[in-house]
Amino acid sequence: MTSKRDIIIGIDLGTTNSLVAWSGPAGPEVIDDGDGPMLPSVVAYADAGGVERIGAPARAHAIENPTNTVYSIKRLIGQSFDDLAEELGRLPYPVERRSGEDGRDMPVVRIGAKRITPQEVSAVILGELRERASRHFGETVNRAVITVPAYFDDAQRQATRDAGAIAGLEVVRIINEPTAAALAYGLDRNKHATVAVYDLGGGTFDVTILRLSGEVFEVLSTAGDTHLGGDDFDRTIMDLAAREIAEQFKLRIESPATQQALRTFAENVKIALSNQDSAALEIDLGEGRTYQRELTVAEFEALIAPYVERTLASCRTALRDARLQPADIDQVVMVGGSTRVPAVRRRVGELFGRAPYTALDPDQVVALGAAIQASVLAGERRDLLLLDVTPLSLGIETMGGAMGKLIMKNTKMPCQATETFTTFQDGQTAVKINVLQGERELARDCRSLGVFNLTGIPPMPAGMPKVDVTFLIDQNGILNVSAKEQRSGAVAAIQIVPAHGLTPDEVKRMTAESIAHAADDMQAHRLIDLRNQVAFDTNKAEQMLERFGEQIDDALRDRIAGELTALRTFADETTDNDELARRLKTFDELTVPLAEAGISSGLREPAQPQGRR
Amino acid sequence: MNDTKPDTVPEKCINCSAELTSPVVCSGCHTLYPLPQSVDYFGLLGLPRAYDLDESALEKRFLSVSRHIHPDYFGSASGEMQQLSVRLSAELNQAVKVLRQPVLRAGYLLELCGGPGPASDRTVPPEVLGETMMLREEIEEAQADEDHPALQRLRKTVEEKRAVLVERIAELARRLPNAAAEDKTALRHTLNAVKYYDNMLELLWEA
Ligand SMILES: [Zn+2]
Repeated sequence: MTSKRDIIIGIDLGTTNSLVAWSGPAGPEVIDDGDGPMLPSVVAYADAGGVERIGAPARAHAIENPTNTVYSIKRLIGQSFDDLAEELGRLPYPVERRSGEDGRDMPVVRIGAKRITPQEVSAVILGELRERASRHFGETVNRAVITVPAYFDDAQRQATRDAGAIAGLEVVRIINEPTAAALAYGLDRNKHATVAVYDLGGGTFDVTILRLSGEVFEVLSTAGDTHLGGDDFDRTIMDLAAREIAEQFKLRIESPATQQALRTFAENVKIALSNQDSAALEIDLGEGRTYQRELTVAEFEALIAPYVERTLASCRTALRDARLQPADIDQVVMVGGSTRVPAVRRRVGELFGRAPYTALDPDQVVALGAAIQASVLAGERRDLLLLDVTPLSLGIETMGGAMGKLIMKNTKMPCQATETFTTFQDGQTAVKINVLQGERELARDCRSLGVFNLTGIPPMPAGMPKVDVTFLIDQNGILNVSAKEQRSGAVAAIQIVPAHGLTPDEVKRMTAESIAHAADDMQAHRLIDLRNQVAFDTNKAEQMLERFGEQIDDALRDRIAGELTALRTFADETTDNDELARRLKTFDELTVPLAEAGISSGLREPAQPQGRR
Repeated sequence: MNDTKPDTVPEKCINCSAELTSPVVCSGCHTLYPLPQSVDYFGLLGLPRAYDLDESALEKRFLSVSRHIHPDYFGSASGEMQQLSVRLSAELNQAVKVLRQPVLRAGYLLELCGGPGPASDRTVPPEVLGETMMLREEIEEAQADEDHPALQRLRKTVEEKRAVLVERIAELARRLPNAAAEDKTALRHTLNAVKYYDNMLELLWEA
């Protein structure tokens, strides 16, 4: 067996819930902290900007604390502020455009005077999962495989990797969620089949078509929508209730707290409708007014139909790109909590002409697959071979604002393309390249990954330099760019201004801050422990003074009494852990004769709990 | 990153002295070697340089080379080996993509044999131009009318015409590398023509 030091954990960083798993001797398993395997992807901040609660407690207090409780951060990560216009109006916490003159466009969450990036919020969740795993193994875990929706672009993948770094994790691999699910699904079957993985999460949708042959998992195509998920189903119910409340009571639901309450309520209704024919909507609006109605499954299905249809359109695109017909698919595997909705299962079944496979736990299968892939990366097994594809075409902005494709979507990763650039002016030494991802014809309709500034071109007459720029998409779906001038062999420098991401320096700074915070937290925990010990020891000494005080000499008795009060006051006021620990130790030594007097009086004190000094 | 390609293939592994059966990896100790200039896609996959190829051998070789060079197996290797595995895998993926598809394979082989490339000769046989123009008009009409039976008929027609061209490509490509200059030119023109039918099939996929 490998040393624990080599452990790589697998993390499913979800929109709604996150999980951590590892590959043990008995196969992959999810690490359960006792509160269940799922960590709600929710972080509650204090007004000053510090992290207050993570996971279930944060979610439980969301209604009281709506503007400081950050959820669904996965919908924001690696996105531009402009892309999110529609999304943001629906979030109870405030999001604004990050200010800066470097032309970058990214959203930040406003907590009091602080501005927190989506990467930092995700890092809090990743950090909690890392701790959960570290506690499980009894030592710090440093490496992880993190899953992302297959349809995530380069910026979203980079941002996820940066979040891992901020949480102190070396992200050894970013792997696609449906592919991870296929690993967990296919591993114990070991058969030859063409499989479609339909993955509908809280905020994202992917469909991936794979060919499984023994231990080889070859992705043929993938399609999806990074802004479509179970959250949208909840919103249809919220919107319905809000509209009817406005009609019936001339009331508008505006306060973040009411919105948050409505959201929780809508989620419960959705879950109820997965196994009953109707659910009661009842919302107390105060002043004796109550909104009431029955919502039937048929009504709910009509509400969500447009979203379900969008997922089916993606399925057709994936089939077409794989050059397959629905009948060519041997099995349809359902992944993601939102596939519990019966209408989803039914419509997917109709499209593929077969009942979807639902025997796996749709919440856990992605994390389990990540753990399997982690064991390959740790060098524990060489039998599995995972061949995945890039979900989006990659290209550059050409003259006239067109998208010039260099790498087509659904190309096997890693993949690369080389394009030759030249200059338009004599002596020109730099060229700017706008790198794009997407399927549309015009550059402005595609996603800009950033402007790559090619510098260090030797000065020559216009059109003479020939700079070969290689765009390499690695196995994580992340772009790497390198450049070389043909004639001189000079390696031109490529400087990237990420359009929606963090610079390496920012990641470094945030990592340092989060480590400092972790250190602060440790200091705070130690102070609490010390104060508890002071309270315990001083109370005990007080009782002993009362009962056996006359058995020791007067001077010592007075000194103990004086020190007792002084120590209590000092413990309340100080934040100096070391000084407090020193004074507590002195006090304990001072009270030894008193304790001995107690023992000689034949009194058996209950065993003192193990102090944490 | 150093992109310079060596000219020759090493015979023995510098790490374990085992005989190298692949130009890019030692199957014994998994030491990687940059792809030499002299090795083409056929060579990378250990296949003879010819249009006709054994498809199952291609798939087998692709998987066996992938198993030795895929970056997932270099998780704990040096940064240099990791980078090399990424670049070699990118080359291998490109190689298998080209060799799997007869039309791409023929075009690649033509360029290896010094024939005109698509950039230098974009000529399409005039009869093809006339025919595809007519077919396109019919497709557009049928699409406007949402006439699905007509679209399905058209798809069948286009597929059949494309198959004839692919047969012609195979015939010409089998004459490589010693084909006459006019055969190479004819092959280039037929390869150019196939693109027109491919584009039409894109339009007709869901017919
Ligand atoms: Zn060797």
